[in-house]
Amino acid sequence: MSGTLAWALVALGLAVVVVRRRSVAVGLVTAQALLLTGVAAAEAEGADDVAAATALGVRGVALAALFLAIVARTREPRPVRAGVAPFARAGLAILLALAFVWLVPPVGLESEQAERAMLTLVAFGAAVVATRRATLHQLLGIVMVENGLVLGAIELPGGASLAIELGVALDLTLIALVAVVFHERIFAEFGSGDTAVLESLRD
Amino acid sequence: MTSRETLALAAVALPALTALVVAVAPRRAVQPAAIAGLVLSGGVAIALALVALADPAGLEVNGWVVIDAAAGLMVGVTGLVGLASALVSPAYLETAASGLFGDRHGTRAYYAALAAFVAVLTAVPLAGNLGAAWLLVEATTAASAILVGFSGKPRALEAGWKYLLLTSLGLGFSLLGIVLLASATPGSSLDALSWRSLSADVPAGEATLVGFLLIVVGLAAKIGWAPVHNWLPDAHSEAPPPVSALLSAALLPSVLLVAWRVERALEPAIGESTGRSVLIGFGLVSLAVAIPFLWRPLAWKRLLAYSSLEHMGVIALGIGFATPLALAGVAVHIVGHAVAKALGFYAATPLLGHEPRAAGHAVTGIARTQPGLGATMGISLGALAGLPPSPLFLSEILVIAGGFEAGREWAAAGTAVLLALGFVGLAHALVETTGGRPHRRDRSVAPGLRPVVALGGAATVILLALAAAAFWLPDTDIVEALARGVG
Repeated sequence: MSGTLAWALVALGLAVVVVRRRSVAVGLVTAQALLLTGVAAAEAEGADDVAAATALGVRGVALAALFLAIVARTREPRPVRAGVAPFARAGLAILLALAFVWLVPPVGLESEQAERAMLTLVAFGAAVVATRRATLHQLLGIVMVENGLVLGAIELPGGASLAIELGVALDLTLIALVAVVFHERIFAEFGSGDTAVLESLRD
Repeated sequence: MTSRETLALAAVALPALTALVVAVAPRRAVQPAAIAGLVLSGGVAIALALVALADPAGLEVNGWVVIDAAAGLMVGVTGLVGLASALVSPAYLETAASGLFGDRHGTRAYYAALAAFVAVLTAVPLAGNLGAAWLLVEATTAASAILVGFSGKPRALEAGWKYLLLTSLGLGFSLLGIVLLASATPGSSLDALSWRSLSADVPAGEATLVGFLLIVVGLAAKIGWAPVHNWLPDAHSEAPPPVSALLSAALLPSVLLVAWRVERALEPAIGESTGRSVLIGFGLVSLAVAIPFLWRPLAWKRLLAYSSLEHMGVIALGIGFATPLALAGVAVHIVGHAVAKALGFYAATPLLGHEPRAAGHAVTGIARTQPGLGATMGISLGALAGLPPSPLFLSEILVIAGGFEAGREWAAAGTAVLLALGFVGLAHALVETTGGRPHRRDRSVAPGLRPVVALGGAATVILLALAAAAFWLPDTDIVEALARGVG
């Protein structure tokens, strides 16, 4: 994998951390998934790899359609404020990514850039989940973590098992579907997809 | 196909088929079809457990499936609790509406998700490799999150959302650990992630150690080990009682079994002491975090949820000590906890019918106005506290003795102190809940009480039999098979 592609994936991830609008974040995560699909297709060495790349592309497009439909169905009067300001979010995400790259030893993926990009996307996804309040943004954080792991699977020496890749795509789609059911209900109950309203359970 | 494989296939396929039938059945047939399917599935799962435990040396293992004593034990527990949850579900559904799916589709959605959850949950202990186990654990999240938020009430939505998000994120970290292991392992096929291949082929090194830690920390988020347990008290307290029972009695120990298999498989690469110390660390931290909550007056289901945190800690300590005594304690503890905890959650349906404020407040004096309900809650809480002759008293003794046997005196002594503190907290809750001053003096039979009292009788018999079994278990082939694992 080239350094440019790895940087492009990371840049898209960082943009997801800072953008305010849900539809823009959906577009960025989808672009990331499609870029990964392109990488997987370009590096495919057999029918299994092509099938895995196809599944990845289908998953990316299906999730984009689902998320955009849900954005349209649950219009917020104004974008949900994050708990942390954009620059602070970006700073936190970068710090977390640096910590991951520093803590995790070289793992033997096919390129060093891919290793770092994988860890960075996982860190950015975790940062999005931790610092954003909008339900859809938090869900996109989970999708970004999985995108990072897909990159790792693509760059494994010899590739990953097709069954596992298909299973991961299916599981993520199921989780997204369930999350969308919750998002719709939360929106119907509170008039907003802001998780700040979900703070009644304390001991 | 051997008899074990046939039973394993049936134990997973029957609830999956039930979910499909329930999804398309005419409205009137939904509940009978679901209960019949889940009772049959439970029977098959218990049969598989009996076959696996009757001949613990007869191991079935390949790249996809493992049927050993540990899998048999967990499948049996899931079958038993799934069966009982199906039987008490009608009483719950009579008193509850689904805000998540609406009245029209609520019952169908509930049973379809319940059957799907049982199917995936049954498959988790049978997974023959780490990749498949991860996929199945992740799949349990989707099915169970729907059930946690079933009522659609704000608190249930909050609990369900937290559960979905935190466990998915945790499992993301586990998958990162699996990628690290896969990159260090020769071969890229699924077989490279089988328990035996991991044990034989994963090289020692920093990447393997970090991979192991990521996998276990990620699974800990699903098991509910402290300090990554935040979703657990919320989800267990807000889910429908039959689902809370499955979450606590079957899901947590099933995922814990996966963590144990990972530790066992990677011991040659990371070192026996390192892997076991991580488990012991999680166990002690979970106990220490749970104890203060067991001392507080909490709502019934929330008290049971924190007790789950304590008991998952005990099981972690047992598998971390890993001596025959400790493993015998683990086996007794898993079954005893499942029976007592499920009974406690089932009692929540009539309890909330009798005293609705019990959803958010500690209840007192239930036995004075509702003797049947009070007795059921007392049996559950007494057993969970470890009050003799509870099998959990004996299993905790076995785990502590196993800790001393393993040469981990400080951890064993710390476990004894923490368990004693936990006992005091739960014993106080037991006295107050059953014999304290009642808030409500309504003596009419609480809705949904009869099936719960009947299950209470059956649970008492099982708990007493288990207490008797705890005396001879340490010297049996079952414990030897648990110690050997899939190797």
